[in-house]
Amino acid sequence: MKKKIRIAIANKGRIKQPTMDALARAGITILEEERTYVSKTSDPRYEAIFARANDIPVYVHYGAVDLGITGHDLILEREANVLELLDLEFGKATLVVAVPESSPINRVNDVPALTRVATEFPNITRKYFEKQGKQVEVLEVSGTAELAPKLGLAQIIVDITSSGETLRKNKLRVIGTILDTTSRLACNKIAYRTFEKEISELQSKLRGEA
Amino acid sequence: MFKFQDFDGKLLALRAEMTAPVARIVTTRMQSAPEPIRLFYVNNVFRYNQSYLNREREFCQAGVELVGCNTSEADGEILALLISSLKQVGLKEVRIDLGHASLLKDLLDTAEIDKQQKVAIQALLACRDSVGLKKLMEQNSFPSNLREAFIELSCCRTLNELSSVSLSGSKYDKANKQLESLAELQETLNDYKVEDMVFFDFSLTKKIEYYTGMVFEASVPNLGLPLGSGGRYDKFIEKFGKLDLPATGFALEIGKLLQALTAQGFEIPKNTRTKVIVASKFRNTAVEAVKTLREAGVIASLEVTRRSLEKTIEYGKIMETDYVVSVDSSLEAPVTVYDIKASTSKKVTFKTFLRDLGGQP
Repeated sequence: MKKKIRIAIANKGRIKQPTMDALARAGITILEEERTYVSKTSDPRYEAIFARANDIPVYVHYGAVDLGITGHDLILEREANVLELLDLEFGKATLVVAVPESSPINRVNDVPALTRVATEFPNITRKYFEKQGKQVEVLEVSGTAELAPKLGLAQIIVDITSSGETLRKNKLRVIGTILDTTSRLACNKIAYRTFEKEISELQSKLRGEA
Repeated sequence: MFKFQDFDGKLLALRAEMTAPVARIVTTRMQSAPEPIRLFYVNNVFRYNQSYLNREREFCQAGVELVGCNTSEADGEILALLISSLKQVGLKEVRIDLGHASLLKDLLDTAEIDKQQKVAIQALLACRDSVGLKKLMEQNSFPSNLREAFIELSCCRTLNELSSVSLSGSKYDKANKQLESLAELQETLNDYKVEDMVFFDFSLTKKIEYYTGMVFEASVPNLGLPLGSGGRYDKFIEKFGKLDLPATGFALEIGKLLQALTAQGFEIPKNTRTKVIVASKFRNTAVEAVKTLREAGVIASLEVTRRSLEKTIEYGKIMETDYVVSVDSSLEAPVTVYDIKASTSKKVTFKTFLRDLGGQP
């Protein structure tokens, strides 16, 4: 039997629904989502896997799945060597550097040496500050980085924001932008060779062509 | 690369690949060797690998180098050897994706664009995004013949299809020569009858900068990472001292081959040789029995502890041994053979036992 094409989808969060909608428009409807490891889809050539969005780049890199839909920021953070086949244009967000409103720091350039930065994005953060010529201490947290300054854990944070609401609520002020991100269709390099015909068909359907 | 300091402050590094060590050996210890030189290695290399699955730093590589020749016959031999090696280990659906190290670079250089746009074009090529590619080339006012060539090259999947691509104008001389060399390679691959397994990929470039001609990766559909890679490097060995020594070769990662074999359902064949433990209080006879059994191709071991026969049989069971043999003061006397799988025992002569095992007495 011919191998099915596996596509990884975020199992929760704000990009889950838009991902399912986009795939449905491209003719791939998830048939059985609840509590299954591999879900069948309406297109017999594809099966879906639900995974944590920040693990998807790694799954795709190693070919555990052939395709995955996840954020550009997460692909960079996990340093996954994958093909970003398509910008799906949803899940728009910005990775920013933020400080408490009361902080004397107004620009990234003002960040003193050895400042502690709390973030879920240690790799991107480290590279960003290195490029700015700033020596900082990166504190990796696995969520709610915005609490770190309140708890005295860090003076600044690097976090993802879409509306700015969470930052405002936590009395944080943006002092720099690292990157803009959207959801991408990521593809394993070898899977692209194996399934070129099917995958380029999906690509153009997701683009709204054909 | 792993780097550290020697006790006198000198910088040391662990080899990250084998091509540089091979180049060193060729230039220092094989200076009078007739060319071409064919070399192979199976060796460990050390790399820091960004991996969330395992923290391996040491990898076993098997590779070959053909030094002193820059013909398409040499490249063809390397590719054919790569394919037959992969088949020989038992892999199915093997494919090679092949590009040219400097074709894309040389063509981009004629277009006079900045580095950032070069990167953008390479990314679009890798995704075969012809719409995006056309748009970007138009924005950067690529000449129309170059635009067409880019689109055509990005659509070519076999070396055969390359024959339709050519660019007129002297600034494309280099690129045209590279296209010709790829066409020649295709003819060689036809002779080896491996042309069906070799695919063209215009976007394929390697991070390692020493390649000058073909570059390639081997893969199977069941594994998401390349099994190995290689290419032609004509200007690399001269850095080690001996001038003008073109070369071509490949390296395979043994760990990846094992992963791919497992993914394809390959089972490592079980050892079918018979295992025997010889136990006796007559050590000289036991030693002789073990020696005779080994000479007959049996995996034999001596019971070196002084435990009871029951304990030896128990041990033999866990170790998946076939027989425990208890010998007397001489091999001429009958021996007691315990068949561990059948849980039976019998008294036979040593000769009969050996004959039943299929060995020569």
